[in-house]
Amino acid sequence: MSVLIDKSSRVVIHGIAGNFGRFSARDLVSYGTQVVAGVAPGRNLSEVEGVPVFQDVRSACGATAADAAIVYVPAPAALDAVLEAFDAGCRLVVYPGDGLPVQDAIEMRAAALRKQAVLIGPNTPGIISPGEAKLGFMPSSCYAPGRLGVISRSGSLSYEVAWRLTTAGIGQTTVIGIGGDPVKGCTAVEAIDALHADTATAAILYLGEIGGNDEHALALYAARADAKPAAALIVGSAAPPGKKMGHAAALVGSHADTQAAKAAALRKAGVHVAGNLRDLVHVARLALPQAHASALAS
Amino acid sequence: MLITEHEGKALLAAHGVPVPRGSLVRHAGHTRRWNNGFPVAVKAQVASGGRGNAGGVLRANDADEAEAAARQLFGREFGGERPGAVLLEPWLDHPRELYLGLTVDGTTGGYALLYSPAGGVDVERHAPLNYACGSARDFKAHEFRRLLTQAESDGAVRERVVALARRLMFIATAIDAVTIEINPLAVMPDGKLLALDAKVVRDDAAAFRHAEVAEALERARKKERPTVAKAIQANLMMVWLDGSVGLISGGAGMTMAAMDLIADAGQRPACFLDCSSNPTPAGYALAFKLLDAEPEVKAILVSIFGGGTHMDRVARVMADIMKKRRSRKPVVFRMNGTGRDRADEVMQEAGLYNHPTIESAVDAVVAEVQKP
Repeated sequence: MSVLIDKSSRVVIHGIAGNFGRFSARDLVSYGTQVVAGVAPGRNLSEVEGVPVFQDVRSACGATAADAAIVYVPAPAALDAVLEAFDAGCRLVVYPGDGLPVQDAIEMRAAALRKQAVLIGPNTPGIISPGEAKLGFMPSSCYAPGRLGVISRSGSLSYEVAWRLTTAGIGQTTVIGIGGDPVKGCTAVEAIDALHADTATAAILYLGEIGGNDEHALALYAARADAKPAAALIVGSAAPPGKKMGHAAALVGSHADTQAAKAAALRKAGVHVAGNLRDLVHVARLALPQAHASALAS
Repeated sequence: MLITEHEGKALLAAHGVPVPRGSLVRHAGHTRRWNNGFPVAVKAQVASGGRGNAGGVLRANDADEAEAAARQLFGREFGGERPGAVLLEPWLDHPRELYLGLTVDGTTGGYALLYSPAGGVDVERHAPLNYACGSARDFKAHEFRRLLTQAESDGAVRERVVALARRLMFIATAIDAVTIEINPLAVMPDGKLLALDAKVVRDDAAAFRHAEVAEALERARKKERPTVAKAIQANLMMVWLDGSVGLISGGAGMTMAAMDLIADAGQRPACFLDCSSNPTPAGYALAFKLLDAEPEVKAILVSIFGGGTHMDRVARVMADIMKKRRSRKPVVFRMNGTGRDRADEVMQEAGLYNHPTIESAVDAVVAEVQKP
C-alpha cells in the first residue's frame, strides 16, 4: 500500500518543456508513474517526451482526467501555478522549488485546505511509494518497497538514507519529503497522520534538522498509546547557533531547537534516535517489528 | 532579515500605525539638534534582539546627557553589532504597556497573532495569547476579539488591539514581513495605542518583489568574509565555520549530516557549502578555488548525493577540475545518486577514487587532516 499516490494517480507536469521538466517526464514514466499531460504556457508544442502538452492546467485536466500535479515553475510564478492546479481539480500537488516567499507558501497551504487537497512542498524532491509511483525527482534506484514509512525535511538526506535502507534490505512504504521551509503544505503532523493511517506502514522513520519545532510533532505522536514504533535522525549537531544552514528553516534560534534538545525530547518519548548517519540502519531496525526488519516486501 | 527599529517604525508609520516622533542621529554631537523636549529616549539602532536588556536604551534629561548617552551607545556592540545610528524619541509617560506580535507559525502553516496584556522587557516570562489565523484573508476580527476577552478586560483597549492587529496583517502581506513585534505597545493617557518599539523581520525569499530587501541582502553579503561573499554571489550557499575540513556538498540536509560526521570523527568542518543551487562547472570550480585559497582548509571532502543533479556529469566536471587544479590539498570524493554507475567509470578513468560510503570518505579526509 502507499499514501497519497499509487499506480492509479494521473499526473500533469507543469513546466514540462524546460530541461528539468523533460528529464522529469522521462524519469517518472520510466518509474511507472502515469504521466498523462504536460503544461507549457505560450509554447507551441503538441507533445514532449510522448506526453500531450496543453496551454493551462484546466484544459490538461479536462482532456486527460489528471488528478495530481508537479509544478516546475520558478518562485515568482509558483503561487499562481499551484492555485491553478488546485482549481483545476488536482487532489495532490507537489511544488519542489526553493526560495518561495513565506506568504506564498501560506496561501498555497490555505488553498489546499480549502479544497481538501494536499500540497507537498515547497523545497522538496516530492513523494515516492516504491514499486507504485513517484511524484518528484528523487533517484529511483535508492528505493525499494517495504514496510517503513519515511518523512524528511531534506531531499539529499532522504536519498542517502533510502539508499542505506534499501542496501540493508529495509524497504519503504512511502517516503514523504515535507521540505526544508518553515511553512509546509504537508506538515510533519499531517505526514505522521498519513503514515499512521496506512496499514502497510509498520514503523516510521523521521529525518529532521535543527530549527523550528516540527520534531515536537513526532515526540507527541510517539508518546501516544497507539503510536507505531518510530526512529529518527536529526542533523545539524555541528551547526553553530544563529546561522541559517541552507534551508530557510534550519537555524538554531533557541535552546529548544538544537539537535541535542530535539534528540533528547524524542528519546524521552520512546523514539529510537540515531547519533549520526553511522547508526541510521540500526535505529530503523530497532523501530521495525522483527517480521519486517530483515526482508524487503515481496 | 531583521531590520532596525527606525526602519521598522518607518514602514509601520507609512501604513498608518502611530509611532513616536523620533529623530535619527549618526553622530553623538548631532544629538544637540534635538528640539522636541526632555527627557528623551536614546536608542541604539542595531538589527539584533535583546537590546533593551543589554542596556541599549538610555534616558537623558538634557542635551548634555543625551550626547553622553549617544557617545556611550556608539562605543558599544549589541549582539556583535556596533550601532550605525541612534534614535532619539520623547520619553513618554504612559499608564500601560502591552505586547502585540504577528509571526509565522510553521506548526499551523500560517500567520499567528500574539498578545500579552503586560508588555515590556519581561514579556517572555508569560506565554502570550496565540491566535493562529492561517492565511491573511482568514483573519477574523470576531475570533480574535473573542480570544482577547480572556486576556484583556478593558473593552476599549481590546477594540484598538483588534484594529491594530488587522492593520499588521495587511502590512505583513504588503511588505512580506514574517515577524512584526510591537513591545512595548503603549496605552497613552488618551487611550490611544502608540508603538514604542518595532521589531520587523522581512522575508529574504521575497526580495524579488522588494528592491529595498534585495539591496539590504546585497549590503549584508558584502560584509561577509570575502570567501563567503564570493560564494553567495555565485548562488552557492555558504556559512564559514572555522574548521580544517573543506566541505563541497549538495543539499542542506546531507551537508549538515556530513558536518556532523566530521565533527563526530574529531575534526571540524571549515564551512557549510551547499552547491545544489549552482551545480555547474563554474559553481564547482569556484568552490574549489575558494577553499584552495583558505589556509585553514587542510583537505577537501566532496560529498554529493544527486537527485535532480546527474552524478556522471558532476564526475566529469570533477575530473576536469582535478586535472587543471594546482593546489596540493588532498581531495576525497563520495558521489552517489542519479547516474552513479557512470560516475564511477568517469572517476576511474581519471584516476580518482569515489568512496562507496560517506563514512569511509569522512574517515579518509579526517586522516588526511591529521597527517603530521
